[in-house]
Amino acid sequence: MIGLLETGSGYWNAITWVIMVIAVGAVVIWLRNHGEDKYKKDTDQTKPFLSGNPEISKEDSHVSASHIYWGFTEALKHYYQPLIKLHTGNINDYSGWIVLVMAIIFIVVGVS
Amino acid sequence: MKLDKYLDRSLWVFHLNTGSCNGCDIEIVALLTPRYDVERFGIKLVGSPKHADVLLVTGPVNRKMLPRLKLIYEQTPDPKAVIVVGTCGTSGGVFYDSYNIVGPVDKHIPVDVYVPGCPIRPEAIINGVLKAWLKLERVRGASASSTEKGQKTSA
Repeated sequence: MIGLLETGSGYWNAITWVIMVIAVGAVVIWLRNHGEDKYKKDTDQTKPFLSGNPEISKEDSHVSASHIYWGFTEALKHYYQPLIKLHTGNINDYSGWIVLVMAIIFIVVGVS
Repeated sequence: MKLDKYLDRSLWVFHLNTGSCNGCDIEIVALLTPRYDVERFGIKLVGSPKHADVLLVTGPVNRKMLPRLKLIYEQTPDPKAVIVVGTCGTSGGVFYDSYNIVGPVDKHIPVDVYVPGCPIRPEAIINGVLKAWLKLERVRGASASSTEKGQKTSA
């Protein structure tokens, strides 16, 4: 497994690969440590830029993968929220709505 | 040795509209057209204040934009320069003392360069950017020389 694997287009060696990863990693860490460090820690400079809007909590910003209609319901929430309030789950409320709507229909039909 | 000492020569600008009529903003965009082409000097508009050296502010600052102006100013790394472009941002302009205006800009954040005009000429913006550049060079030079002095003292 450790030996040299030669192919028509080159060779593969696990030891060489590990050495290269360590060498490249060392260069990356060196570059990172010599980069920008003038930002003020524990201030807004370390927070993400959201077009000037404050960062909301992780709980409020979480969108589950199963919720594929999130954008749809978010855009139409002013339409959905009153409808959700109407759906109380109480059969008496639903019966009341039927009676009310039927009464309005009879009035409209009767007047016209 | 810090790499950013050698990599921060180009001036990157973040543009923030705090309620402008877009007259000044159009003139800023004109700077990027082939006629003025400030990008040949390395000056370019960036999409995040975290990448910017200069904050370019237009508009008289309305109430909705005030917290965003302050946050974006805080998020711009130091050393930074603030340029106010247009009469509205400089003094409030025709919106002065209006019910929804809390500006001008220097009432809320420190301003380094004022470029008045309604709208301003692109040449005036370039002149303002050069003045901001001089300020940044001065600040960076001062901090670099103080660091060198510190190193010599410690040595």
